[in-house]
Amino acid sequence: MRSSRRTILKIFAAFAGFFAWPTRARAKTLATSPVKTNWLRPPGAVMEHHYPGKCIRCGRCAEVCPYRCIELLDIRHGLNAGTPIVKAEKVPCYLCMKCVHVCPTGALTPLEQHETRMGLAVVDRHSCVSWQEDSLLMCKTCYNVCPYPEKAITVHDYKPTVHAEHCTGCGICTQACLVNREMGGKAINIEPIYATVKLPRGVQ
Amino acid sequence: MSVSRRDFIKKTAALTAAGYVGMNLPFSATESEAAGVAKWNPGTCRLCGVGCRVEIGTNAAGRPVAARGITKSRTNFGYLCMKGMMFYKIMNHPDRLTKPLYRASKKDKFQEISWDKALDIAAEKFATAKKQYGPDSTAYYGSGQAQTEETYLFQKVMRVALQTNNVEGNPRLCMASAVGGYLTSMGADEPIGSYGDIEKSSVIFLIGSNMASAHPVLFRRVMRHKLNNKDKVTIINADPRVSDTSRVADIHMQFDTNKDLAMMNAMAYTIIEEKLYDKKFIDDYCVFRKGKKVKVDMAEYWKSLQDYSPEKAEKICGGNITAGMIRKVARLFAKSDGTMSFWCMGINQRKRGVWANNLIHNLHMLTGQLCKPGADSFSLTGQPNACGGVREGGGLCHILPGHRLVAKKKLRNQAEDLWGVPRGRLAPKPGYHTIKMFRKVNEGAIKAIWINCTSPAQSLPDCDKYRKGMAREDVFMVCTDIFPTRTTELANLILPTAFHFEKTGVYGCSERRSQLTQKAVAAPGEAKPETWIVTEWGKRLAEKLNDRIALKAVQPFLGKDPDFAQPKAIWDEYTQKLTKHRDNDLRGATYTVLKQMPDGVQWPAPTEKFALTGGTTMKFVKGLDPMATTESKDDKPFQFYGPAHKDRKLWIWLRPQAESGEEPDANYPMYLSTGRVVDHWHTTSMTGRIPEIMRSNPWAYVEVNPKDAQKMGIKPNDMVEIETRRGKVVMPAKVKVGPIEGTVFAYWHDMAEERMINKVLKDTFDPGSKEPEFKICACKIRRVSGPKALKPFIVT
Repeated sequence: MRSSRRTILKIFAAFAGFFAWPTRARAKTLATSPVKTNWLRPPGAVMEHHYPGKCIRCGRCAEVCPYRCIELLDIRHGLNAGTPIVKAEKVPCYLCMKCVHVCPTGALTPLEQHETRMGLAVVDRHSCVSWQEDSLLMCKTCYNVCPYPEKAITVHDYKPTVHAEHCTGCGICTQACLVNREMGGKAINIEPIYATVKLPRGVQ
Repeated sequence: MSVSRRDFIKKTAALTAAGYVGMNLPFSATESEAAGVAKWNPGTCRLCGVGCRVEIGTNAAGRPVAARGITKSRTNFGYLCMKGMMFYKIMNHPDRLTKPLYRASKKDKFQEISWDKALDIAAEKFATAKKQYGPDSTAYYGSGQAQTEETYLFQKVMRVALQTNNVEGNPRLCMASAVGGYLTSMGADEPIGSYGDIEKSSVIFLIGSNMASAHPVLFRRVMRHKLNNKDKVTIINADPRVSDTSRVADIHMQFDTNKDLAMMNAMAYTIIEEKLYDKKFIDDYCVFRKGKKVKVDMAEYWKSLQDYSPEKAEKICGGNITAGMIRKVARLFAKSDGTMSFWCMGINQRKRGVWANNLIHNLHMLTGQLCKPGADSFSLTGQPNACGGVREGGGLCHILPGHRLVAKKKLRNQAEDLWGVPRGRLAPKPGYHTIKMFRKVNEGAIKAIWINCTSPAQSLPDCDKYRKGMAREDVFMVCTDIFPTRTTELANLILPTAFHFEKTGVYGCSERRSQLTQKAVAAPGEAKPETWIVTEWGKRLAEKLNDRIALKAVQPFLGKDPDFAQPKAIWDEYTQKLTKHRDNDLRGATYTVLKQMPDGVQWPAPTEKFALTGGTTMKFVKGLDPMATTESKDDKPFQFYGPAHKDRKLWIWLRPQAESGEEPDANYPMYLSTGRVVDHWHTTSMTGRIPEIMRSNPWAYVEVNPKDAQKMGIKPNDMVEIETRRGKVVMPAKVKVGPIEGTVFAYWHDMAEERMINKVLKDTFDPGSKEPEFKICACKIRRVSGPKALKPFIVT
């Protein structure tokens, strides 16, 4: 069969359109978790599939947060309406650990600052100014602001590297990152990788 | 933008693929195209004293849209820090001042007025003050960020038209002790070597400088040199605070706050005890001095060091200092092939800043670590044009352009002749230094003051006290600035000025390098270059004073194009006439030459031909410095021809350990020190308006040592009150291994009233250099509450 150039383009465009359609939008239901890149649960949260069940939407974590970094989700989030979320890009978590002590149900469980795993910071080497080939820009803002510099983030030649064994996912680096939206998103983002995977005991 | 069919398909395919694997494509390579850069305009960075060369990209409409470093430049080799990359963004900021604003009384609201009226008012007020209360009732307070042409013109108008030496600037707050140190030790201001010596050195001694935060691009060179030669290069950092700079240090000498004078004397003790000194260098070029007139010999110098044997110094210094460490560092310092010292505000902003400077120079002179590749005693400058404009251009109360002292009649007469005014026109007595000037404002003795490009209402120590004076109704205050600041809040007249890259002028950085920045962007609204403002003001001033000689100050520059011809005429007058045969001879560094150079010219550069080679990389060395040959009096390889030492010698000073202006006691048991962070510049009137930077460092913190924090129950981010005898401020705490136990360290940039640390500092100043002691005062701290949600703040 000989298809014309136009037909091939059309088929191609259809494929492109299908894949370009965001995955989450395709499968979004009332029970879909709101947790995603830079949208994190407060410290000490239970596994994400338990979270909407354990949280009673009392809002005390948001109330006690001195930095106003915990927001409560609205009705658009279906089952998760009223549950807390930390939008790391807007106001990150400064690890004061107040919220974990006021949670009445154990949706947030008490833990130490350094044990917190809200997610993992991931450096996007494509947009981080220091990671560009032959970069002449000397930024190490993420390192400067990190509560565990030299542990969670190290810099070599101004190129930052995150170390999962120490990164708490607090998001302070994400908020501070100088790369902004117009330039293609933040160059360091918090991926909530621990929200769905249970770590074996003793592993940090 | 047109896209071909093929390109479109390619991009679609790429995007689909990228979307599928969930990543972002690297667009940065084409960022400048995306931003629509039509032209790259070379110039110098507006911020710190390193003097990085930077290009501003302007789009087709002539607006700045991007910045990048110039790789051919010998200062930064194309590297830029984040401040340098972002500063162009404030040029388009909506807060920019665009119209002259005036209010008769400081209680009124500002009204927009025309330039004509504004300049008339300014001239009228200064002329009236001079006529009614004498010349010294007028004053100018400038900045190490004003271009050389501006500082030169301002001081000329003040001195020639108003006949006062009340010409000061914020370099008094940062550089004055270094000037004092160089003049007393070497007889000539400014460092001997260049940045290029970093790569040739084998020991780098960093004292009282957090170079990593304050001079990041220069620090990169230090760091790279260390990383490239791990076994050959030793970096020693001496500081009571563990800072980012300490990270590359092989040895961190942490002494108790203010004990560095004893520490350096102990190093000198070791150098003499172990015969590590360079006898020939000392015999040929050095003398020992006790006071201005008292010459002593080495034996007496040795006797004066007896209180500072390493064992005794160990007890005085505290911290981690041991006798063994002092000996080890002294040996490294003396025996290396090239030792380079760097220091900045930790040494300068002290009650005995000049002494501390002398003690560093002493170590270099004793060991002969001077005038050879990789060896220098190098003072870092904080501001981009403190060296070029203020120190060389006559921007301080005791100096005239070209390193001429006001008090010397011969030098004063030289300036009068060169300016074509009758001899005796210039006031013979030096004016008020900064602190005294603002004390006179407080007393009401100064009736009219012009503040250019700086914000003393926030940057002076104990600033609340001085704000009361600036707020007086009988003090007429003019501010030239680009943004509202804490100082414009107290002004009567605010004149909007053009920013860097919106006017033409020269900046001179730490290593005696003068670099030209040409106008590339149109200034917003009615904002004007300072040179135009001052010439027009000077003309009206002469009319109001009814004084033909007063007009001479601005006559050669009247009616010239303020974008190029006018600054060029000012630069030519200054360099060709005033620097001729002075130690900062800049006759070769004409605009024509500066335009050709990717970086700039290092003085002395007496001819254009020599300037085109880049100028003098090392002063006083025959073969490298043309003036070392022309000024030669003997056949020795070095000629220390500095104007302050008639004997052409380097002076090794006997300087004891001394107390600071306010030592801790039972009521105020801790030391309070202040300093910079990498993200911000001074009072944040500029960097605070760059959202990216403000997000990364939104407010001031106080760093507390973990041991102190534990004693006082302070946790990270708790709100802490710092109280001194002057007042209180409250800011969040950073608990970190930073300042030594017993010292807290606060960031000084924040504009918010409750976090402005300069309100509580003491205005003690060095009796020699008159530089205030920002680095040390006594305080007590207390936790007031847990963490709080704070808001970043800038004056609007």
